[in-house]
Amino acid sequence: MGNDMIKQPFTIKSQVTIPDHLIKEVQSKFAYVDEYIANATILPDGNTIELELRSEINKQEKNNLEEKIQRVVLSMVKGAYQPKVEILEDYLDKQVPYQSDPNIELLKRQEISQETPGVFTLGPLVTRLIEYFETRFVELADSFAAQPYRFPILIPARYLQRVNYFRAFPHSLSFATHLREDLDTIDHFSQHAGCDAHGNLTAAPDSFSPIQNLLSPAVCYHLYFALADQSLPEGKMIVTAVGNCFRYEAINLTSLERLWNFTMREVIFIGNKDFVLENREIARQRMQKVFQELELAYRVESANDPFFIGEFRKQAAFQSAFQLKFEIRASLPFKNSTLAVGSYNYHQDFFGRHLNISLPDGSPAHTGCVAFGLERMAYAFLAQYGFDPNQWPLCMKGLI
Amino acid sequence: MSTQENSPLIEQIQHVLAAALRLSEDAVSPALEFGDVPQWDSLGHMEVMMELEQNFGIEINADTIATLISIPAIHDYIIMNKQNG
Repeated sequence: MGNDMIKQPFTIKSQVTIPDHLIKEVQSKFAYVDEYIANATILPDGNTIELELRSEINKQEKNNLEEKIQRVVLSMVKGAYQPKVEILEDYLDKQVPYQSDPNIELLKRQEISQETPGVFTLGPLVTRLIEYFETRFVELADSFAAQPYRFPILIPARYLQRVNYFRAFPHSLSFATHLREDLDTIDHFSQHAGCDAHGNLTAAPDSFSPIQNLLSPAVCYHLYFALADQSLPEGKMIVTAVGNCFRYEAINLTSLERLWNFTMREVIFIGNKDFVLENREIARQRMQKVFQELELAYRVESANDPFFIGEFRKQAAFQSAFQLKFEIRASLPFKNSTLAVGSYNYHQDFFGRHLNISLPDGSPAHTGCVAFGLERMAYAFLAQYGFDPNQWPLCMKGLI
Repeated sequence: MSTQENSPLIEQIQHVLAAALRLSEDAVSPALEFGDVPQWDSLGHMEVMMELEQNFGIEINADTIATLISIPAIHDYIIMNKQNG
């Protein structure tokens, strides 16, 4: 190894101070800066960035990496608006019996088995918990007489392009392809394809067909695309569906907290502005009673989506200013932190305009959805109540 | 047309919005509102906010962003903040 190799970990001084409210957001984006990065932490001073690398790098590579880090920080911080934080419900102080890291017990009991980062097989306990929470979310959907839908896992690239998804969330996309319809290609693949020591599939890139589809990042998008270029005859709709979602999060993928492949139950509202906002609020109030019954320690607060670097500053400020998103953040006592287990969302007429979904008066439809992450819900519950059913809330006694 | 619609400040705001939203000046009426043209969407709105800050020397915060959704509202906000400043 030459003397000019950079030993790790090393620190970078940010050109601008990262304010407290942006530290987590900026830090999460470092996962996409460079494949060398194994871990990146912004210290509480908002200026010092600690980096751990997968391997040693030379001075030129270090300079490139530092330039990219500074670019991310400047893009997200310079001119950023301080978000307007509104708390609608606050039960974070609720006393819960479990204080340990549930991952240790989940692994010991073989309740979770990692196939690849962010992808887990779940055992009977976690599955039963998910099924229980699903019944509670379906009850919410039933209380609106929501129509049930089933959506596919694949979503066409041209759909996502139409709603500017590539610009807003390029970092989290997951692509689907298949072998080209060519006998020689398929024969060659069947004879020679394998996986290298890193788990990478060894096949010629030109074996694969051009990418036309992706793994779906959200449930409700499928409904909006199904309604594109149409008028809603009754002027309103309430729909519910559960589905697999895929959001790649690189080194941020952590146990059941942050999965690449996860499941969401959604209740979706389409109509005029008042219809969507009123129903979003009714859903929140109904779920407040459910969460009370589950004795969950949580808070509902304003939030923004994890837009990519170039879009973040403007889109996040807009979401915050117009109060488009509220997250249900459950307490994780073992790390004195919170985890978003669901959200109440209003998209204004974004999908109505971009997809030409109109109301009977010709105006673009407004949309909104309430969404619950099933794996995260089970995980947060175990983090608060642990593995002894005798310690669980009354409504869940007898579940196991 | 009201006096306000003829005011030089309104014309200035129209000019700033046209630049921020990459529209011709003719496309920006004195009563234009958020959503009236496709360019004035969520991203366009934030471009407008930044251009207003730069051109009029005013400070716009998260509380204000959601209220400045028409040229008349922007006009009133600038007048009020210039007076207060």
